[in-house]
Amino acid sequence: MKFKKFGAALLSGAMAASLVACGGGSSSGGGSSSDEILINIWDNNQKEGLQKIADKWSEKSGIKARIEVVDWDNYWTLLESGASGGTLPDVFWMHSNTAQMYMENDMLLNLDSYIKDAGLDMSVYYDGITTLYQSGGSQYALPKDHDTIALLYNKAIFEQYGVAVPTDNWSWNDVQKAAAEITQKSNGDVYGFAVNTSNNQDGWYNFVQGYGADIITADHKGTTIGSDKAKAGMEMLRQILEVSAPQSVVAETGTESLFKSGKTAMITQGSWMINSFYTAENAADYVWVELPYADANGNGQEDAGERVSAYNGLGWAIKADESRPQECFDLIAYFCSEEGQKLQAEYGVTMGGMKGVSEAFASAFEGMDVSAFTKVEETGTLYFRPYTRNTTVWEDAIQKEGAFLDAWLKPSDKDAMAKACENAQKIIEDAIAKE
Amino acid sequence: MLHALSIKRRRADMKKKMTAAEKNEAMWGWLFVAPTVIGLLILNFYPIFNTVWQSFCKTGDFGKGNVFNGIENYKAVLAASETWQSLWNTIKYAIVEVPLSVCIALVLAVFLNGKIKGKSLYRTIFFLPMVCAPAAVAMVWKWLYNQQFGLINNILGTNVAWISNPKITWIAIGIIGVWSIIGYNMILFISGLQEIPGDYYEAAEIDGATGIKQFFNITIPLLSPTTFFIVQTRIIGALTIFDLMFMVMDKTNIALQKTQSVVYLFYQYAFTNGNKGYGATLVMVLLVFIMIVTVILQKAEKKFVFYN
Repeated sequence: MKFKKFGAALLSGAMAASLVACGGGSSSGGGSSSDEILINIWDNNQKEGLQKIADKWSEKSGIKARIEVVDWDNYWTLLESGASGGTLPDVFWMHSNTAQMYMENDMLLNLDSYIKDAGLDMSVYYDGITTLYQSGGSQYALPKDHDTIALLYNKAIFEQYGVAVPTDNWSWNDVQKAAAEITQKSNGDVYGFAVNTSNNQDGWYNFVQGYGADIITADHKGTTIGSDKAKAGMEMLRQILEVSAPQSVVAETGTESLFKSGKTAMITQGSWMINSFYTAENAADYVWVELPYADANGNGQEDAGERVSAYNGLGWAIKADESRPQECFDLIAYFCSEEGQKLQAEYGVTMGGMKGVSEAFASAFEGMDVSAFTKVEETGTLYFRPYTRNTTVWEDAIQKEGAFLDAWLKPSDKDAMAKACENAQKIIEDAIAKE
Repeated sequence: MLHALSIKRRRADMKKKMTAAEKNEAMWGWLFVAPTVIGLLILNFYPIFNTVWQSFCKTGDFGKGNVFNGIENYKAVLAASETWQSLWNTIKYAIVEVPLSVCIALVLAVFLNGKIKGKSLYRTIFFLPMVCAPAAVAMVWKWLYNQQFGLINNILGTNVAWISNPKITWIAIGIIGVWSIIGYNMILFISGLQEIPGDYYEAAEIDGATGIKQFFNITIPLLSPTTFFIVQTRIIGALTIFDLMFMVMDKTNIALQKTQSVVYLFYQYAFTNGNKGYGATLVMVLLVFIMIVTVILQKAEKKFVFYN
């Protein structure tokens, strides 16, 4: 009898304990054993390569590091609850959309003293990425990589309809002409081009910037998206939209699926997507060329500053209350060392956050030429992906009704696009005022 | 008054007379409900009160620095047209999902409660959607509905924008809801049907009542407690719908504004935009609305539900 009672008490106690554990622990970044460094990232395409680099570091240091992937949307939910509850992973990626918020709330380890001790030269990295991860004059993350944008076309479609294929010297006007020809010759069965309002960094941002306006001004406190220059850029895009896949189609199917299923001849894409197209069924038909230039002055040739591409870079960050900060810093410093950065390019993970280490990346994909992403850095101008303190608020709003979605739905209406630019100006200004 | 007093006294007597064995029993009683109580307190009650509190705050990042700002959030939420649009969208969804899923499930339950071959096979088939992960269900339907490549348009030979046309999308989404929930309602109906004594049907048959007459005059009245339970739980379920819209529709979908539910809007503000206070206020509005609906339903219960 005694034994039974004891057993019952034990059982109910265990149940209560497990319930409590569920409540508190569900937000943790996965249970890492104490001797292992836990790394959280959101891109499954990069896991294998990065784990190989981490293993190289483990060989030298004798400390294990394990990478866990959480998809993009859940990554930020997990990170935020982890930050609120004090259970962040040891090492993780930061992104321009949220970096300011994490740095200002002291969620990330201040790396200044570690950088000084290790004698790291921060000038070897891309400026925009380095400064992105600074707050109050201190560095909170090391530049992991950078990405650029290029034009992707399906040569089988161009051959089928007898249209000249895109080259590195195309302007957006050339894209418009080719897209019109393909859409017309196929009777709308194949679309010449496809872009959605959500294709911002990899799509229409480049039109606005190429024609000389700023989505977000250099001080991150304003925008010129409602200016005449921006309107000229979006007018160019509008002419392409007229001969592109309708908005309802790109919203339902997605530009990536449309392209892969042979329904679209051209799209613009970021370098982080290469692997997805490299491993696709018809990868042999896919060709990357440099992002077209914006013929802003209309003289029919490329002038300085007319070819622009957005770039962005992730940062390796460490949680602020890390128990082994030096070890974690050594790990991210290895990821961002010349050796680590070159391996990253060689394995085809991404281009480097360090300048001049990405040549290997161009040849990492056997049978697919991806040099368009690295060439644009010499032939064109890179601008940093627009961000403010709380980027998501306006970034989402300008994709929807009341802003650019209105214009996308009526591509033949010139005024709708101009109006959308003005609305976007107001949305962004209001959002910044509330930050 | 006297009656109440006597109860009080009796309770006091009981307290005095509690023996050691009774005390022991009470202690064990508490111990056994403790896991549930603690779980409820930590997992349900704490978040509920926290949400109420946050709805009166201008919330800071990472749950830090919440500043009380009175009814500012409520003013903003109630003044926004998208709040009322989303509430209307949610109601529209419920209007499709609840009546259809209840009626179809009832008919199926009556058939599957009778003597037909392969009864358990059919029951399993209709219950299967309940076993599938809602996210997976939504993904499959998303592609079925696809305007260009979707199976539905291909079979019907039509070119309908099922999930992009604001006029019909709410129905299309509602149909997914109906499909997902029929099996569950059906099982509840079957268990309700089995509690109706067979004598009634026998007597009715002797009197010469047809099957349809039996259905309307015996089955429906005697099943009304079950029906009421299903209707009430489904209405609450439908008013808190989120996953279908979230999974099926892209955020650039033109029909989204006319389809997104209150909980979708809550997700958008609280998690995507990081404005927890505004999000909390939205769910408070929804909570009040659900309470009103529940009160009306409880009133209706007295009128329409027939307890045997």
